Amino acid sequence: MTNVKRAGEPIEVSGIFPQAGDQATEFTLTNQALEDVTLDNFSGKRKILNIIPSIDTPTCATSTRKFNEKASGLDNTVVLVVAADLPMAMGRFCGAEGLENVITLSTFRNYSFQQDYGVAIQSGALKGLCARAVVVLDENNKVIHSELVDDIKHEPNYDAALAVL
Amino acid sequence: MSNVKLDGTPIDVSGNFPQPGDQAPALTLTNQGLEDVSLDTWAGKRKILNIIPSIDTGVCAASTRKFNEKASGLDNTVVLVVAADLPFALGRFCGAEGLKEVVTLSSFRNYSFQQDYGVAIQSGPLAGLCARAVVVLDENDKVIHSELVDDIKHEPDYDAALNAL
Repeated sequence: MTNVKRAGEPIEVSGIFPQAGDQATEFTLTNQALEDVTLDNFSGKRKILNIIPSIDTPTCATSTRKFNEKASGLDNTVVLVVAADLPMAMGRFCGAEGLENVITLSTFRNYSFQQDYGVAIQSGALKGLCARAVVVLDENNKVIHSELVDDIKHEPNYDAALAVL
Repeated sequence: MSNVKLDGTPIDVSGNFPQPGDQAPALTLTNQGLEDVSLDTWAGKRKILNIIPSIDTGVCAASTRKFNEKASGLDNTVVLVVAADLPFALGRFCGAEGLKEVVTLSSFRNYSFQQDYGVAIQSGPLAGLCARAVVVLDENDKVIHSELVDDIKHEPDYDAALNAL
């Protein structure tokens, strides 16, 4: 159980959050075409998992968009935005439009992702959603950076994520 | 396992779909305020469960809106629109705006609803979503009408549902 807050209030987040040096856990998630995909779908690429509670929350900072733009412009790098929203809703993700290397993936029918990546919110109003986090993988799916954001209302440290790529 | 189609192609739907005369199974679902609610929230009212795959699918027929309007205008009757969409997305349900007695409920963190109400799509691109169905309950939560729509792309027989009330 990890300590995370939401607007200052402690909430429970379960699972083991990946740390730098770990091999990334396998996952299955659903893309906007309703196809189930795994890490192998992006094999040989560096991957940034931008994990968020929902694309429909008001926080849609320009910085998110900027980050996705910068990160997906890097050589051999794909940004995977992961949330519990249905794939049908993911198209509205404010930070993805027109960005070829930003892909939105849904946990809606593969609940185990939230546990396997240590982002499963277990208490409070957001129970059932992903905590906010960034996990960066190298070409061989080794974790080279990770941040479980201390408060759901805060943004991740995007510069730190970009610095490892 | 029920026989349902998606645009003519058979898909697997699991669980026991409620039939007239049955007592409605208990349910827990999440409202737009991110609160978990049960049938007791509307104790003593007649309930129409309008169960749909997603509010973000293209089908947003005027007839849905008309049905919700008519049904929710009936005495002592509430329309509960149920889908796997997150509560944030359900606010956009095309058939609910301005209708006081239409409440949208999400199955996103209470997966058992789909099984308990026999609407759990198990195969094809919509696996993990609810099949399209209407279930009408009387004041004592006894099922007085139910229809599991034969093809996800079709609309339920709204007149038959209204006639039961």
